[in-house]
Amino acid sequence: MGVSELEESCLSLDEKLLGFMEQLDVLEQKRAALNSLIEQGWFTMSKARYSMGNKQVCALQYASEMEPLVCVHARKLDDGNVEFSTERVTQSKESEKDVRLIEDIGPQEKGVRRRNKPQKDITEKGANDKPSSEKATEATPVKQRDHSHQQDPLKWFGILVPQSLKQAQSAFKQVIELSAEIATLQTAILNTKQELRNSMKHKHVLQEEISAAQLDKAVN
Amino acid sequence: MAGRGKLIAVIGDEDTCTGFLLGGIGELNKNRKPNFLVVEKDTSITEIEETFKSFLARNDIGIILINQFIAEMIRHAIDAHMQSIPAVLEIPSKEHPYDASKDSILRRAKGMFSADDFR
Repeated sequence: MGVSELEESCLSLDEKLLGFMEQLDVLEQKRAALNSLIEQGWFTMSKARYSMGNKQVCALQYASEMEPLVCVHARKLDDGNVEFSTERVTQSKESEKDVRLIEDIGPQEKGVRRRNKPQKDITEKGANDKPSSEKATEATPVKQRDHSHQQDPLKWFGILVPQSLKQAQSAFKQVIELSAEIATLQTAILNTKQELRNSMKHKHVLQEEISAAQLDKAVN
Repeated sequence: MAGRGKLIAVIGDEDTCTGFLLGGIGELNKNRKPNFLVVEKDTSITEIEETFKSFLARNDIGIILINQFIAEMIRHAIDAHMQSIPAVLEIPSKEHPYDASKDSILRRAKGMFSADDFR
């Protein structure tokens, strides 16, 4: 009974160890990919700096208002691991919003507008109309200002940026996605390590129990 | 901001921060606190450590990316962080290539194969 339990524990320990090695292998591969992508990003950024000028691609160019275009979702799994996944705000969604804003402005004013209104109407309606027209004019700039915060970071460095800066951006976008995968893998590795430690302890306890039982038998 | 996801924070040299901000991770919150720190020659270790700890304390940050040579300066603070969220990732910098033997996660994993474990 005890011996079979020990064998089972040894087998599960072996399986976990193999899994652990595989995870380390995948981590190494992803790390290599991440490092080469970062290098590529720096290289293309340096190219852009060479063509744009030294001070055109530096921290001084960062916008005063920033909103993230990418976020990461951390989901706790049943086995205790945490899965990180990135989500990106696409520019197409933004442009759709923009189009809707422009279309919404027109149809809000229904009916035919009279340019030469009688004096009475103006004085009567003047008080009622003013606030609503002010609201309409105020509402649109606020929306536009909100939208402008989420602009493409490429525009911080100029309107017509060189292709190399765009390449640097796409390299770093890939790095961000890869870093979420690596973060997931890192937490999985630490969890597997903890599981291995626990099963190792369990195995030692079983071994001690069996050797004690064998000693008892020998004494009897 | 997409959904209610978490942010990615960066502590690194100018090029690393610029690259990741180009990627779209940058945020200045209502208190105008950024989710990045550009480490320059005159940036003190205390400032780096305080920023790292403030990132750990913020619940809207999911991943912290840090240049490995900067991580070396505040190794004790990184080793003390045991939670899975935020995850800390060490990345290479222009002058200092990535060294796996210095990575705190891999060192923890390596600790698995100490003589004590195979007693």
